Amino acid sequence: MPQRFDDRNPPFDRLTHDEVRELRAALDIGYFPPGTVIIEREHAADQLYVIIKGAVEERDGDALEAVLGRNESFDARALVHGTAGNRFLAAEETLCYLAPRTVILSLIQRNPGFAAFFYSDISRKLESYARGREAEGGFDSVMRARVRDARINPAAFIDATETLEAAGRKMSACDNNTLFVRDGDRIGIVTGMNLSKAVVLQRRPLDTPVRDLSHFDIVSVEQDDFIYEALIRMTRRSKRRLAVKANGEFVGVLEDIDILGLVAGNSQLIPGHIDRAQTVDDLAHAAFDIRAQVERLAKQRLRVEAIAEITSDLNRRLITRLFDLIAPPSIREAGCVMVMGSEGRGEQTVRTDQDNGLLLAAPVKASDLTDFRRAFTGALESFGFPPCPGNVMIKNPQWSQPVDDFIRQIKTWILTPDEHSAMNLGIFFDAVAVTGRTSLVDKAKTAMIDMMRGESAYLAHFARYIDQFAGASAGMLTSLMVSVGVTSDQIDIKKAGTFPIVHGIRTLAIEHAITPTPTARRAEALVARGVLGEQLGRDLISALAYFMDIRMRSQLRAVQTGRPETESLVHLAELTPSDRDLLRDALRVVKRFREIIRNRYHLGMF
Amino acid sequence: MSALTRALWCKIGPVLLADSRYRFLFEKDDSGELVSLDCETTGFNYVADDVISIAAIKIRGTRILARESFQAVIRPGAPMEASAIKVHQLRQQDLAQAGTIREVLPDFLRFIGSRPLVGYWIAFDVRMLNKYLFSLLNVHLPNRQIDVSELYYERKYAAAPPGTMVDLRYASIMADLGLPALPQHDAFADAVGAAEIYLVLEDLRRRGVRLPRKAIEAATDFQLA
Repeated sequence: MPQRFDDRNPPFDRLTHDEVRELRAALDIGYFPPGTVIIEREHAADQLYVIIKGAVEERDGDALEAVLGRNESFDARALVHGTAGNRFLAAEETLCYLAPRTVILSLIQRNPGFAAFFYSDISRKLESYARGREAEGGFDSVMRARVRDARINPAAFIDATETLEAAGRKMSACDNNTLFVRDGDRIGIVTGMNLSKAVVLQRRPLDTPVRDLSHFDIVSVEQDDFIYEALIRMTRRSKRRLAVKANGEFVGVLEDIDILGLVAGNSQLIPGHIDRAQTVDDLAHAAFDIRAQVERLAKQRLRVEAIAEITSDLNRRLITRLFDLIAPPSIREAGCVMVMGSEGRGEQTVRTDQDNGLLLAAPVKASDLTDFRRAFTGALESFGFPPCPGNVMIKNPQWSQPVDDFIRQIKTWILTPDEHSAMNLGIFFDAVAVTGRTSLVDKAKTAMIDMMRGESAYLAHFARYIDQFAGASAGMLTSLMVSVGVTSDQIDIKKAGTFPIVHGIRTLAIEHAITPTPTARRAEALVARGVLGEQLGRDLISALAYFMDIRMRSQLRAVQTGRPETESLVHLAELTPSDRDLLRDALRVVKRFREIIRNRYHLGMF
Repeated sequence: MSALTRALWCKIGPVLLADSRYRFLFEKDDSGELVSLDCETTGFNYVADDVISIAAIKIRGTRILARESFQAVIRPGAPMEASAIKVHQLRQQDLAQAGTIREVLPDFLRFIGSRPLVGYWIAFDVRMLNKYLFSLLNVHLPNRQIDVSELYYERKYAAAPPGTMVDLRYASIMADLGLPALPQHDAFADAVGAAEIYLVLEDLRRRGVRLPRKAIEAATDFQLA
């Protein structure tokens, strides 16, 4: 078969060279005029179709489930499991490679990586994809990074006539062990080690000019050079640090430890920065590091659950330190800071908002509280935490009050619900105490669960929000403009995927008084109690992780392009066929779960 | 070959045929199939140049039977020109082990039978093959020929206003029909491409769909700023 058959296109990229050759030799090409039914629902297929050109609609009855385009294949179910779940229809003139069933089945038996694509079970499928992905990250990708991607210490300069002591103070002040030394036209470098040796070993006086300690044979790299070039230069010239140049100017210093930081991330350094912070400004640097860290770990294809875990741990440390720095004694004594929503569940990677609150064991002086509210939220905003659109922030008196008043507030939300109360309850149910009197959160939460449990009408009202965005996602992976080719379509991952899973699980967790906040832990607890089937539980956790992953990638892109409002929109046209395939499977899990929640809480009656 | 000369060949061919084992070439075709055909040659001169590879693929209904294809590389009689080697990338040494056209033709003829032949500028390929066929069997290929560039012209440019730029290049047709490019100057790939073009255009014709032409582009070339 023609070389055009793309063996880099998943799942065929899993095949060995010989297997690709075997497959190519077995391919025919089929042409389907618009309107042709290629596979009928409930029918088997004796070949796998891989689209060369055109568009194929996947329909469940009248509902359009998906539009498949170039390089996508169908239908694994009809081929492997005997019957097609949906009907496949040529939406336009379509050419497909036809791979005989016998050949595909034999490849499936021999090649487990290839076989994963044909699993009907999304958790196994995702796991197999995740493994493939991890393999491509790691050290290799770091070597292809550029010098500017590393965390370079910005250049700090000192005049050659200044003293050894002045150099030492400057290093300490700018937290930088390497200074550039200006000596007329030439520029040299002096390091902390040079200073120590001069003082300790050579007993030089503290007023020695730094010129005498500097060396002027600087080895440098360009900011746009590859990291591996820098590494080679370090090894060859036996240097542990290199000067970094851009446009002929020295802009910073790259140390060997910074390269290590690129590989492992430098999450181990951030807590130190946070703990040592003496001012709110110091914390701002750490906050920036946390954000950069997300990007770096994402590039290395670390699993999104792990990124979320690291990030929320760092964010909580940051908030704790901020509280220590700015809270007056009265609030430090009586208060408890909590994070809620996605922060509380530990599912936030790229910062999209802040959900936080303050509970007090007893009322404090009004002026203390007012000042603290403003200072705390203001500091987080200056760190780049966007304000919460629902105003769930310490700044808002509703979210920073004595615990008994807050419990009364919860009661109002339950008994006389308005449009925000269900979401407020949901956000609070995800709360985690970060610092201070942590028992206050447990107290309020227990009160909330007691009020809601067993009150099936309240729970149903709460559960109803699972359908809040149903309209937005009903079409699943839909493109309506099929007649003129698949137009670029987009899907809101948060509304169509993340939210229904999170909220459905949250509702069940309230009903069963389950205390952990992460959705995955809640789902496991629900499975353990027999509320959810084991398979469904696994599928939900995998699907959520997949949504988080794809959303994180789109968020990083939105940040890069400076259009944060598009953060949860995913353009279908930009996804790879395997991502579209996984997204489809994940959305099917959501659809199934929604049905289950609807039936359980009789939502059909509303 | 015009329809008339083809009809003539069908009448007199069996009489002239030097070897009666090949009578099937003149029998009525009831397979319902077509054969997409492409040859790579040492050049474009009918007399002096040679065929160095042949690929033929059956088309049944709307299915291209790529699995049941005929492919052969042929050792040419005369040394090849460097310019041609650059195009098809078959070097002298690649062809050293190959069979001669006399050895390859019988299998090829049995593969195509009397099925209609589809190709891009098919007349050229057939004329090259006829050169050998005539010396071997004393006849020319009587098969009906379908030139996809003609089908394309008819869907795209028929009744076009005078002065319309007509572009019938193979790559342009593939691109216009949105067919992903195949490696060109490879007989098998070109035969697959021709078969794909044929299926698309046949379907457009059956449904009475015409290919849109761009608004006259030529005019803009002469516009003065």
